[in-house]
Amino acid sequence: MEYFLRRRRQWGNLVALACFWMSAILVMVLIVALLGWLVWSGASALSWSFLTSVPNETGAGGGIGPEIFNSFYLLFLTLFFTVPLALAVALYLEEYAQPGIVASAIQLAAEALATVPSIVMGLFGLLVFVFVLRWRFSALGGALTLTLLNLPTMMRMTQQALHAVPGSLREASLALGATKWRTIIHVVIPGAIAPLTTGIVLIAGRIFGETAALIYTAGVSVSNANPYDFGLFHPAETLSVHLWYTHAEGVAVDAQRIGSGSAVVLVAMVVIFNVLARLIGNFFRRRTSGR
Amino acid sequence: MKTFLEQPPRNGDETVVKVAIEDLNVYYGATHAIKSATLRIPRQRVTSFIGPSGCGKSTFLRALNRMHDLVPGTRVTGRVLLDQTDIYARDIDPVDIRHRVGMVFQRPNPFPKSIYENVIYGAKLQGVHRRSDLERIAETSLRQAALWEEVKDRLQQSALDLSGGQQQRLCIARVLAVAPDVILMDEPASALDPIATSKIEDLISALKAQYTVVIVTHSMQQAARISDETAFFHLGEIVESGHTTEIFTRPKQKKTEDYITGRFG
Repeated sequence: MEYFLRRRRQWGNLVALACFWMSAILVMVLIVALLGWLVWSGASALSWSFLTSVPNETGAGGGIGPEIFNSFYLLFLTLFFTVPLALAVALYLEEYAQPGIVASAIQLAAEALATVPSIVMGLFGLLVFVFVLRWRFSALGGALTLTLLNLPTMMRMTQQALHAVPGSLREASLALGATKWRTIIHVVIPGAIAPLTTGIVLIAGRIFGETAALIYTAGVSVSNANPYDFGLFHPAETLSVHLWYTHAEGVAVDAQRIGSGSAVVLVAMVVIFNVLARLIGNFFRRRTSGR
Repeated sequence: MKTFLEQPPRNGDETVVKVAIEDLNVYYGATHAIKSATLRIPRQRVTSFIGPSGCGKSTFLRALNRMHDLVPGTRVTGRVLLDQTDIYARDIDPVDIRHRVGMVFQRPNPFPKSIYENVIYGAKLQGVHRRSDLERIAETSLRQAALWEEVKDRLQQSALDLSGGQQQRLCIARVLAVAPDVILMDEPASALDPIATSKIEDLISALKAQYTVVIVTHSMQQAARISDETAFFHLGEIVESGHTTEIFTRPKQKKTEDYITGRFG
């Protein structure tokens, strides 16, 4: 009896282990297959002129230079709005707010905002920025829509980062005669900087890849005035939007090639963001432990 | 219950009262944690608070530099006179109080910064910015905390690389750098090994030449070794206070005697 029980336990363990292994291998295979397929189909499209030249609506040989520029420009604008706002709200909730109606209401609002699908957020942006404010398709409208879309996640990550700073450090600072604000500046934020930067870069990857929210806000064309246009109120088609557009609506003769090439660049960028998140996070972790 | 204040002053003019606590009550929400406590803490002496876990000794200690202000739902009534000034008076800024009344915590809590940055943290807050001044303050404080010889060659290294006992002495140095009058210590050696503990105890004995030290301890031996005055807490009340030798050899209250002879607690 004892023997069979032991055998059964060992079997159970073995089966479970095999399942975990297979799941892990499956994930690896999927990722490698996906990346491999993307690179295999898109690598031939990649060239210096493809990465730098302007798109061609109808003919062959169009590039994605302005789209890459717009992706980074919108990313910058979005982070410029999102990070300070998320930090302010998170600091309020974590450091100042007493538990109560106000704090719960903010939390609830953030969670509700987080559940809005990006296409709905895009239509909201269309309504507010394009129709009501009459900005037409604009970089600013796109960035603000992306801000709304990513604010809840950024807020949550910031909150978690602040929350992870030990209370004993706050106490030590306050007991040394620091005000709450000084404590936040000198102890809390430096203590949270590693997870905070990791969070920002991960969010950056999401912003970079976002499409649906931008179709009706930043538009599906690049600026007429200048392909590398800092104009806040000019249309700013990003790389991911371009990828969708050439596939779905494109009439260029080499739309397939452009789409595949864009996909490779896009995926490469997102991978770079994720690797960066890790590196920067580690860097600050070392720095803030004083080592 | 006869309190310390009601007893006639002892030792003539020799003992100056640094902190006088009158009718102090602390409430955590509905919990009445400190019940009408009255105590006088003499200047340049070591006063220890003893008593069983949960008796309110740490709560009482934290009332002395207004740390309860930071915890929502905590209420403090009564008076705490620091050099005759009530630190709970309306026009007093708790930040000023914490400059004058420093605190060392149960677990060493150095900032994740360099040793040097840790020591000068408080001094910088007080507006000292000249490098030479900061370096002088760092050295003086570390020497006072008996840590200088061990760390003088690695001031820029992380404080987290120090041992637990060194970290706690760094925390004491960090408090000394603010130049307080009173140093509160909440079981400063409870997380340390015996050797580190004895270093901290030596340090405390040395500090009383210049500072008023108040220490919470769960170890009666420690209280007997290092303190001049002892207050015994039980269930949120100060049962008895007085000279340490008297408390430990001739306690007036039955409860004190039961505690120090190990019959409860």
